[in-house]
Amino acid sequence: MKHAARKINASKNNKIKESASYHVFSGVTNLVFLLFSISTVLPMILTIIVSFTDERAIMRNGYSFFPEKWSTMAYQLVMDQDWVFRAYGVTIFVTVAGTFLCVVFSSLCAYAIAQPTLKYRNVLALFLFIPVVFNAGVVPWYLIVTRTLHLKNTIFALIFPIIVQPFWVFLLRNYFKTIPPALTEAAEIDGAGKVYTFFKIVLPISKPIVATVALFAALMYWNDYVTALWLVDKQELWPLQYMLYKINSLITFLTKGGAASLGGINTVVPNESFIMVVFVVAMGPIVLVYPFVQKYFVKGIVVGAVKG
Amino acid sequence: MKKVKKKNQEHRTYRIAVPFINVGKELWKNKVLYLMTVPILLLCFLFSYLPMPGIVMAFKDFDLREGIWGSSWNGIENFKRFFESTSFTRVTFNTIWINFNNILWGTVLAVVFAICFNEIKGARRKRIYQIFMFIPYFFSAVIVGRFVDLLFSTNTGIINQVIGAMGGQEIEWFSSPQYWVKILVGTNLWKNVGYNMIIYIAAISGIDEEMMEAACIDGANRLQKVWHILLPNLVPTIIIMTLMAIGRIFYGDFQLIYAITGGHGQLIPTTDIIESFVYRSVMASSGGLPDYGFSTAVCLYQSFIGFVLVLGSNLLVKKYDPDYALF
Repeated sequence: MKHAARKINASKNNKIKESASYHVFSGVTNLVFLLFSISTVLPMILTIIVSFTDERAIMRNGYSFFPEKWSTMAYQLVMDQDWVFRAYGVTIFVTVAGTFLCVVFSSLCAYAIAQPTLKYRNVLALFLFIPVVFNAGVVPWYLIVTRTLHLKNTIFALIFPIIVQPFWVFLLRNYFKTIPPALTEAAEIDGAGKVYTFFKIVLPISKPIVATVALFAALMYWNDYVTALWLVDKQELWPLQYMLYKINSLITFLTKGGAASLGGINTVVPNESFIMVVFVVAMGPIVLVYPFVQKYFVKGIVVGAVKG
Repeated sequence: MKKVKKKNQEHRTYRIAVPFINVGKELWKNKVLYLMTVPILLLCFLFSYLPMPGIVMAFKDFDLREGIWGSSWNGIENFKRFFESTSFTRVTFNTIWINFNNILWGTVLAVVFAICFNEIKGARRKRIYQIFMFIPYFFSAVIVGRFVDLLFSTNTGIINQVIGAMGGQEIEWFSSPQYWVKILVGTNLWKNVGYNMIIYIAAISGIDEEMMEAACIDGANRLQKVWHILLPNLVPTIIIMTLMAIGRIFYGDFQLIYAITGGHGQLIPTTDIIESFVYRSVMASSGGLPDYGFSTAVCLYQSFIGFVLVLGSNLLVKKYDPDYALF
């Protein structure tokens, strides 16, 4: 806002006419931004169009913005697949539970290590920080998670291994540090416990930063497929993104000579359009929520800027 | 006399126990606060510290039945095997080369976009640009991988359709490794430039207005203002962002790269990074039993060099601007 205001000011000050070269620059820049903006939407539109395209038309003409023949058959097919909805359910559960636990645990810890009265706060921060700089690598991690903690093929495997994000804890801590101690002291004098003060006073006034961390956590859980790649084989537990990954590799397999094995044109299985439907369904929530949360992400990036 | 001696003795035991008593006192005094840190610290311990002793597997001929401690040592045999194989040069080069290009072009594009964005007019139009350019950041790696397929799929992809329409020879993209560093870097730019732009736009709006006004009064034109004020003011941010990225140059973007190229064995020569190599050797997708000892050695190689790079880059950041140092 401030920035925009300044821009307006500056252009008022510069009542001098803009040079011709500026007009060229402005035109080119606008064109580039416009094209880039279009490039972010086109793939989505193409995905939606292909999902409504007749399978034979795809086979004949490839992906097209102007399909020869429309069809809703793939949608009907997806509606019959329980596993699509199941994967959706897994992802929604993991995102909600993971985000909730991540935010609560992280802010509890952040609040504690933000207290100047806590003597070992720096030791605890260091404990959190060391793994950022040095980690054992994915193989020992994999063996511990599967053989010692026995998390393979459990829903917890999708939540806990990525729940600790030290930078978010530090981001929260830095914010909590700016809360005037008078606020919490007053409550404590009135007999409120630390936990009560935290949930009733500290969290409400820290809404902006907590919301930012929650949004980043939700995005992380929603988009994560690597954790499942390592830790989940059982199909009932496939999260949405991992399911997409799986069917994407399947279609790769099919189009790489596998198409012949499908038999003649008469037995066309709508696999391309089918997959597109699943992708449309998966993109839906992000596209719907995006316009409303976009600005909070921008704020979050600016606050966390370099360190986030 | 006796009393004094006893007192002395008490005093001595007290002195030895003093640090522990103090720790205990402190923990007890702030027990609620310490308890608040327990969930995160415990999870951090389980998933980050517990695997650390497993590093010894790198020096063992690891056998699952014998476990980590029962398996026999084999010295640096695992490392020797890795360093002598062609995989070593391939994955090291690919990881660094793809990241290097991501950092270089990512920074250039984000800075140029941020400056141009700042120079054009129309608050509403700019807001719309920003909203759209930030979209790809929200797509998951798998969805971005699908978009890449839309373009490059051999039979149905848009690019081959265009080539075909122009009468050219269609290219089997997924069997032609030579194109894929460019494609991966391009995808990464497309996905992340909106995010990085925001950082630089924020840096620009932090520039002192008086400086700009002074330049105006002195009769500086737009280009001069960009060159002499805007850019120099962005240099600290550029340097710090770049140094931090260099600290991570040994860690590939597995999530994105594997989502795009995972199923395509023919692309391995140019797109195989350390992470995907480790993943394949653990999951033994090429058949045979996973070789944990060997892949731990590869991990340790990555962690060690990564550690040195983070320390080094942090040292440089600290020299440049202590405020931004990690530690």
